[in-house]
Amino acid sequence: MARYILSRLGQALFVLWAAFTVSFVLLQSLPGDAVLIKFQNPDYGLSPEQLADIRAAYGADGSFLQQYAHAVWNFLTGDFGYSLQAGVPVSSLLATNLPPSLLLAASGFVVATLLAVLIAIACNLSGLAWLRGLIQSIPSLFISVPTFWLGIMLIQIFSFRLRLVPVINPGPWEGLFLPILTVAVPISAPLAQILLKNIDEVLTKPFVPVARAKGLSHAKVLWRHVAKNTLLPVLTVAGLLFGELIASAVITETVFGLNGIGGLTKQAVDSQDVAVLQAIVVIAATAFVIINLVVDLLYPVLDPRLKTKLGAA
Amino acid sequence: MGIKAKLKAASLLSVWLLAAPAAFADDQPVKGGTLIYLEQQAHTNLYPPAGGFYPNGGILNQITDKLTYQNPKTLQIEPWIAESWAVNDVATEYTFKIRKGVTFSDGTPLDANAVAKNYDTFGLGNKELKQPVSEVINNYDHSEVVDPYTVKFYFKKSSPGFLQGTSVIGSGLVSLKTLALSFDQLGDATKIIGSGPFVVESETLGKQLSLKARTDYNWGPSKLEHQGRAYLDGIKYIITGEDSVRIGALLSGQADFIRQLQAYDEKQVSDQSFAIYAAPTRGVNDSVAFRPDNPLVADLKVRQALLHATNNKEIVDTLFSANYPQAKSVISSAAAGYTDLSSKLTYDPALAEKLLDEAGWKKGASGVREKDGKPLSLAVYESLPQPQNKAVLQLVAQQWAKLGVKLQVLAGTSGNLVTDNVDPAKTPLVVAEVGRADPDVIKSQFYPKNRDALLQKGGLNPKATFSDDKLNGILETVASETDRDKRLAAAKAAQEYLLDQAYVIPFFEEPQVFAGAPYVKGVAFEAVGRPSFYSAWLAEH
Repeated sequence: MARYILSRLGQALFVLWAAFTVSFVLLQSLPGDAVLIKFQNPDYGLSPEQLADIRAAYGADGSFLQQYAHAVWNFLTGDFGYSLQAGVPVSSLLATNLPPSLLLAASGFVVATLLAVLIAIACNLSGLAWLRGLIQSIPSLFISVPTFWLGIMLIQIFSFRLRLVPVINPGPWEGLFLPILTVAVPISAPLAQILLKNIDEVLTKPFVPVARAKGLSHAKVLWRHVAKNTLLPVLTVAGLLFGELIASAVITETVFGLNGIGGLTKQAVDSQDVAVLQAIVVIAATAFVIINLVVDLLYPVLDPRLKTKLGAA
Repeated sequence: MGIKAKLKAASLLSVWLLAAPAAFADDQPVKGGTLIYLEQQAHTNLYPPAGGFYPNGGILNQITDKLTYQNPKTLQIEPWIAESWAVNDVATEYTFKIRKGVTFSDGTPLDANAVAKNYDTFGLGNKELKQPVSEVINNYDHSEVVDPYTVKFYFKKSSPGFLQGTSVIGSGLVSLKTLALSFDQLGDATKIIGSGPFVVESETLGKQLSLKARTDYNWGPSKLEHQGRAYLDGIKYIITGEDSVRIGALLSGQADFIRQLQAYDEKQVSDQSFAIYAAPTRGVNDSVAFRPDNPLVADLKVRQALLHATNNKEIVDTLFSANYPQAKSVISSAAAGYTDLSSKLTYDPALAEKLLDEAGWKKGASGVREKDGKPLSLAVYESLPQPQNKAVLQLVAQQWAKLGVKLQVLAGTSGNLVTDNVDPAKTPLVVAEVGRADPDVIKSQFYPKNRDALLQKGGLNPKATFSDDKLNGILETVASETDRDKRLAAAKAAQEYLLDQAYVIPFFEEPQVFAGAPYVKGVAFEAVGRPSFYSAWLAEH
């Protein structure tokens, strides 16, 4: 097990280095650079000579290897550099944008899971059998609702018409209520679909009639046997969806005027703000590596059959 | 009367004075309250010369003072931090007497020394601290502190636009501590220490900025009716990128004032008796400029044809409102030196067809005009800060398509835009617009050593071969002629020449449009449309 974790850690470091280097190469091969984008802005009205001076001052005219070595060294020493566009240290940008993003993503994910489970339960409740068709179509509805539209509608209805929650100057939780819902709805759809599909599949397995024959009720069969067997694929998809969650947060952040990594990334891409982008790439890669590691480590906990394979590896 | 009695009488009198106007409560400013201001974009670097970016100017205008004040109605330069000034005949030496008792919010004095240091930075830049030169200061040489309250500036060549240049947002005065910071650090608003009526209290990067009034502020522009501290206790800027959320928040009472109201949203705001403020930016109109180095537009006839193929009235009628007047010249009708040249800007498709035929561009099989096997196909990048710029360009593309000219509108972000916009082969057209209430603005936009909209030799494009010495000569006169009448005549000549050569197609006069709740009173705008909340107050609501 220890060897397994060590090799996974080694892989993780490699992924981080590769992500850093590939993103650096891609950023450098793009036309223009952050200094040019910032200062060739007509708002400064700088002459070409002044522009050349500034480029030299920032080292933007250095060779590719020099700039790469500089970036790697800065990262290893924990210096994320300055955002050229915002005029503040990258570390302050991260400090203001990372926590709200994580909070939104994590709570959005929890709510999405709850929604998905609720849909799955509602579908399988014998009392609601007559509604099954309708409930089954909810995920397709959820998945086709554009995040942008959903956010605007929630604001228009709950904030502007009903005046239940303010969007401007809200309290810390008050302000999160609508954004969390906006993030959760589209993410809950694929989760619910997979849950429903798996439950149907597991219900056809031979052990179900056996359990029934032992006198277990439908609900107990679902809860004790089916649920455990459906969790594994759901977990895999959930790990992947978490990434999508952060991506879809860009729209939510814009609509609700929230700070977050999504918006920060968009701005940094627009202005080729290398220091900011490198930091985001490394953080995102780290998050993915950790999430996948956690998912992989959870597999054997959920499915004892996988334990032996792991031990052999 | 004893002292006590006198005091009593005085206080009774003041009570009466205070009470009497209460009957006209609607016009009497009320002290107190925080204005909630919704801003579309977060500010970037707050080095004062970067104040051209709308969100930056909206903050800098509250926290910094300027040496002089340009009256937005008369465009005259009036005293502010400078009580008086003297200019020599050739406009190479400017002497300013500084008002006494002015302090920056960190307690340091705003004296001749501080002013000199500010202008040395703005006029020459600071390589070590990476601070760029300000575009409004031409030919700057050095400063001299004559005495603690007198400062003198020397110029290498005549600089008649300098006096107006001391009144703009880009010339906001900041404390020596702020000037000593490297350019990289000036995105943090709390580090921008000015002497203005408001002070930055706190900031959540990219999200929110709180200003509070300086209670000891007593040095507003001397000709302004309002003196002393600002009426508001504070201003809270909240970044709200989405248009519909800003409007909804304003109309539902969650905000008091919003920036960037789109023309198509104006009606729902005015229908509910909220105020719309369309502050003119008084400079080069919202336009496209040609890059004559590109062979497709090198021919005057082609450029003239495209100018007459452009239907400005349709642009304004379809996309905008009465707050966006159709262009009558290169610069706005509210700008200094404006000349009405609408006779040169006629929409005349028949003439356009004729000119294109004469220039040898014949309609090909695909409907696009061709010459020597090459299609007349042009590209332009949309400009994100300009209102509805993509829609404007797409409408122009439709208008030109009727004549067999293709205009491709490219998306306006990423590094491509910056590098392509200095390459005439890729972008034969560029969107041009700049606000400054001085004739120098024409030079700023078209002179090769400034914004260089036409991409001339010696400018932004290292491979440029095109240059128009006649135009540059006129622009130099605008920037250096000390005789006011001759200077305005040069400004007129520049506008005529730019249209005769069809170097630029002006569309409309660009305002910066805001909306406010009915109880928000006394909001003012400086000469190029940045809001000032010094005299603003919130009536009872």
